[in-house]
Amino acid sequence: MQDPGTPAPPMSALSHSSVAPQERPSTVGPTASTQPSKASVTLVSTKSKKTGSLGNVHRMRRIIAEDAEWSLAIVPLLTELCIQHIVKNFAKNPILKQLLPEHQQKVLSHLSTDLPLEVTANLIEDENYWRRCCMQRWPVCHVARHGGSWKHMFFERHLENLLKHFIPGTTDPAVILNLVPLCKNYVRRIRMDQFLPPVRLPHTPRTGDQSDSGSEGDMDEPDTDHYQLGDLVAGLSYLEELDLVYGVKDCGMNFEWNLFLFTFQDCQSLAATIKACHTLKVFRLTRSKVDDDKARILIRSLLDHPALEELDLSHNLIGDRGARGAAKLLSHSRLRVLNLANNQVRAPGAQSLAHALAHNTNLISLNLRLNCIEDEGGQALAHALQTNKCLTTLHLGGNELSEPTATLLSQVLAFNTTLTSINLSCNHIGLDGGKQLLEGMTDNKTLLEFDLRLSDVAQESEYLIGQALCANREAARQRALNPSHFMSSMTANVLENSAG
Amino acid sequence: MNPPGSLGVLEPNVDEQSSTPILGPSIHSDNPQERIQARRLRIAARLEARRREALGEYLDGKKESEEDQSKSYKQKEESRLKLAKLLLCGTELVTNIQVATDIRETHRRAEEEEIKRQRVEKLENEVKTSQDKFDEITSKWEEGKQKRIPQELWEMLNTQQLHCAGLIEDKNKLISELQQELKSKDDQYVKDLKKQSDDICLLLERMEEQVKHVMKNFRQELQLIEKAFEVERQELLTSNKKKWERALQAHNSKELEYLMNRIKKVEDYEKELNKQRIWDCEEYNMIKIKLEQDVQILEQQLQAMKATYQLNQEKLEYNFQVLKKRDEESTVIKSQQKRKINRHFALIDGEKFRDVWLMNEDEAKDLIDRVFAADRIIHAQHLGLPWTAPDFWFLKNVGPISQQQQKSATQIVEEVLMQTEEEVEETASEPESYLDLPKQVSARTTKKILMLLCDESGFLIESKLLSLLLPLEKSERYLLKLDAIFSALGIESEDDLYKLVNFFLKYRAHRILSVQVKPLQQASVEQTSVASDLELEEQLEMEEEQEESLEEEEEQEEGLEEEGEQEEDLEEEEQKEEEEEQEEDLVEEGVQEESQVEEGEQQEEKKTLPSPWLIHPNDVLKILEAFVMSLKKPRDPRPPVRVPKATRNDSRDSEYWHALTTVISPTKQNLWDALYSALQKYHLVLTQRAKLLMENEALEQQNTELQMLLQQYLDSKINSQLRVPPTQVLRMPTK
Repeated sequence: MQDPGTPAPPMSALSHSSVAPQERPSTVGPTASTQPSKASVTLVSTKSKKTGSLGNVHRMRRIIAEDAEWSLAIVPLLTELCIQHIVKNFAKNPILKQLLPEHQQKVLSHLSTDLPLEVTANLIEDENYWRRCCMQRWPVCHVARHGGSWKHMFFERHLENLLKHFIPGTTDPAVILNLVPLCKNYVRRIRMDQFLPPVRLPHTPRTGDQSDSGSEGDMDEPDTDHYQLGDLVAGLSYLEELDLVYGVKDCGMNFEWNLFLFTFQDCQSLAATIKACHTLKVFRLTRSKVDDDKARILIRSLLDHPALEELDLSHNLIGDRGARGAAKLLSHSRLRVLNLANNQVRAPGAQSLAHALAHNTNLISLNLRLNCIEDEGGQALAHALQTNKCLTTLHLGGNELSEPTATLLSQVLAFNTTLTSINLSCNHIGLDGGKQLLEGMTDNKTLLEFDLRLSDVAQESEYLIGQALCANREAARQRALNPSHFMSSMTANVLENSAG
Repeated sequence: MNPPGSLGVLEPNVDEQSSTPILGPSIHSDNPQERIQARRLRIAARLEARRREALGEYLDGKKESEEDQSKSYKQKEESRLKLAKLLLCGTELVTNIQVATDIRETHRRAEEEEIKRQRVEKLENEVKTSQDKFDEITSKWEEGKQKRIPQELWEMLNTQQLHCAGLIEDKNKLISELQQELKSKDDQYVKDLKKQSDDICLLLERMEEQVKHVMKNFRQELQLIEKAFEVERQELLTSNKKKWERALQAHNSKELEYLMNRIKKVEDYEKELNKQRIWDCEEYNMIKIKLEQDVQILEQQLQAMKATYQLNQEKLEYNFQVLKKRDEESTVIKSQQKRKINRHFALIDGEKFRDVWLMNEDEAKDLIDRVFAADRIIHAQHLGLPWTAPDFWFLKNVGPISQQQQKSATQIVEEVLMQTEEEVEETASEPESYLDLPKQVSARTTKKILMLLCDESGFLIESKLLSLLLPLEKSERYLLKLDAIFSALGIESEDDLYKLVNFFLKYRAHRILSVQVKPLQQASVEQTSVASDLELEEQLEMEEEQEESLEEEEEQEEGLEEEGEQEEDLEEEEQKEEEEEQEEDLVEEGVQEESQVEEGEQQEEKKTLPSPWLIHPNDVLKILEAFVMSLKKPRDPRPPVRVPKATRNDSRDSEYWHALTTVISPTKQNLWDALYSALQKYHLVLTQRAKLLMENEALEQQNTELQMLLQQYLDSKINSQLRVPPTQVLRMPTK
């Protein structure tokens, strides 16, 4: 700032007050500036002599500019380095539990998702890591379907993946069995929508006999056994749900009836498996051509099962004998949900089920959709509902029911207070049946859903029933909001019932 | 979906509860009619509520209540219902597809069953017809076998072939039909597949649409609800603001009103205060004047009271003095009485002791006399020695042993006085009766000296006592006076008294000598002595004061040991001494007068009794001074015992009584023992001898009796009558 031409006045002014500050830059300046540049020494010294304290600032700035090794980057902390090292060598030397919580977090957030499961399975509990793993492997992840746990989801889906692509005879069973110790604490459910059959060499010549494959399949049964779950399920100590479909997906033009065979051998082994698995709560075996005999084998193995709550054998070939077996199971287990939709149950099967239902206190939901129980079975079930105080959901859609059943059901509706949902769609209820049902509905205060679509009921009665249901729903909502009124209304209902 | 709905149910109840008591008639009203009405209303309301509850008419109730609900609530309800309907319809729409498929499936199944049944029937028919045909053909084969003619056979074969071809054709037709059916089924299947995929597409479409629709609707409803809330809030705000403003305005106006009221009130109060103040001032002044007057009056009264008080005080003081005097008198009397009583008891005790002593002594003497009698008999009769009665000191002793008993000075004086009085009556008295008096001093001299002392040192006696003593007898008076003087001088014991007497005598002896040497100078000496008397008296006073101080000290020392009575005595003495000092001058004059009187007496006595009456009364004080001086030294460690009579020396008593037991000496006792044993033996011999003598006498008597009997027998007549007389026989042994 100061002109070199006019240094005298400030110099003299300063020299009186502070001599030392003036001296210092002149002496320090050259020594400090020797290192960066020798050429500027003279210049700096002369400048510093002239400009005094200002020269000091110049010099410092210059030093920063000329320092070749100067860097703004901070040397990472040792802990940081260590963490990086741990992350890098995690596969060989997994160190996690010994670290401080914040360091653990850091390590987990940097770990690769490709690490071998042997290392990570029982070591890492962190959900975020498993979330990353899942997200990387599968584009769509419904964690809610796996108990809300990403780790469970990962292992369940991983196991399902392995099982889906397991080809008996070709794939080494150790692939799956080795996984058991790693995933046994994290697998709660297995959902299998395909089981691959063993590969057979004489594959092509049989293509011509497609039409007769049903009869031929029986003959070839020993060859078409699928993977047997016994060992795996025995290893999984927390398994609660088994959802199996014995079939092949996406077979395309390679379709063969043999691909969709649920053999006796399979059935036997599955029966033994579910019998041994005492933690099992839900067992589903759908779309697997389970006929009466196989169903009976399975159901026999489920009798007096300690934990089973739901049994789903929908979309099979179960007839009356199978239904009879299921009826026996109802009175010999704590089954809450039974689904026999889309089978071949007829009146005798429904009658036996109704007999079991009459005094059952566990079953909440019964689904007999797309069977053919007809009026005889429907009437039997309606009679059973007069004594049953537990069932809330009943699906009888597509069962060739007609007016007599409706008449009985309307009587049931008048004083049953547990049923909340009834489905009678796709039947031949008829106009009179609809009217009777409407009459039954007028006294009912608990039913929330009543499906009468496509069942030849007059639109008027269907609408009125809908109104009654609406009122019931509203009442239920009120009850849920203030339970005290619910109690009073309940007593009121009871009084009315007793009066009526 | 609508949680606030619960509020909607609760709120009306609250409203009803809060509104009914305000609008309707109150139960707490004063009017009975109104109360009855109120109760009726209440009962009706309760019944209504119960009915509603019983019927579960929530919806109705809600609808009713909805009218007075806010917009937001209405909007919420609307939205809720609308959305519920939407959802229901949506799901129905979606599930319709499933239901449609289901019914199609059931229809298909029914149709399939029907077709299957027809097909089976058809096949069965076909089987039956073809079987018939086949049977026909086979039967024809039998016919053909019988044909021998080739043409016939050919013909038949042809027809057979035709039949077979027909059969096969039928079969083929059936097969083709079935295949046709299969193909159509395949087509059907493909169609179904297509249909299903369409259905699925439709389903997906509807689902998506539904989701979109529902989302849109929900958003819309949410917006509506929000708007409703906003509006309601605005309304509420405005209404509240209005209310607030109204209230504020009212408040302001009221405040202003209050302020005005207050100002007015303040003014009023100020006025009143002023009025009050003036009034108070006046009143105050009046009261002040009145009170001042009162004060004056009271002061006057006070003065009067003071005067009376003083008067009373004087009176009381006078009374007090009188009482004090009386008290003093009573103390003197008390002391006298006490002394008397003490003496009396002591005497009685002494008497008793003496009686007991004498009795015991008599008994002992009796026993000793008996012993001596026995001893004398022994000596005289048995030993034949002359008996001399032993002479022991204690045998002559009669009465309790008194070894120079320390009698108190006053006692001695009393005795002396008593004796001298007796002597006055009986001039022939024995000085020996006073064993302990110094030999050269007779009782009379003592008495005289004491009388002199008494007269001369009257100043030592309390004036009060003197006044009290006046009515008493002369001797009594002297006694009491002397008592007082002795107590003043510190003379207590007999020895002191004798010392005093001796002192006087010595002085006199000395004086006599001096008088004999200078009889001429006597007058001058007397004069000087009179002059010196005054000096001496002063000195004496000084000394006495000293003595008093000493005595006080002593008394303090004594006070620790002595009993209360003694303390009282001391106090009395002190008082006496004080009074002595006061009255000394007065007494002095009296003493001088008396001394003059006594001089006359003494002179008379001098004539009768040459020796002791040469003590000039003027010398008495000198002597006393000298005595006191000499007495002081040995008396300093004065023994604390003031009543020596209380402890009688019994050290020699036991000795005396023991001595009585040893009248017979041990040697003599030994002698007696020996004598006793010897005499006993002698007695034994004598008794034996007496017994033998008795025996002898008895035998002799027997003998005589027997002789008499024999004589009798011999003399009897029977002897003569007998042939052989026993006498004859008896004689033999006797002979």
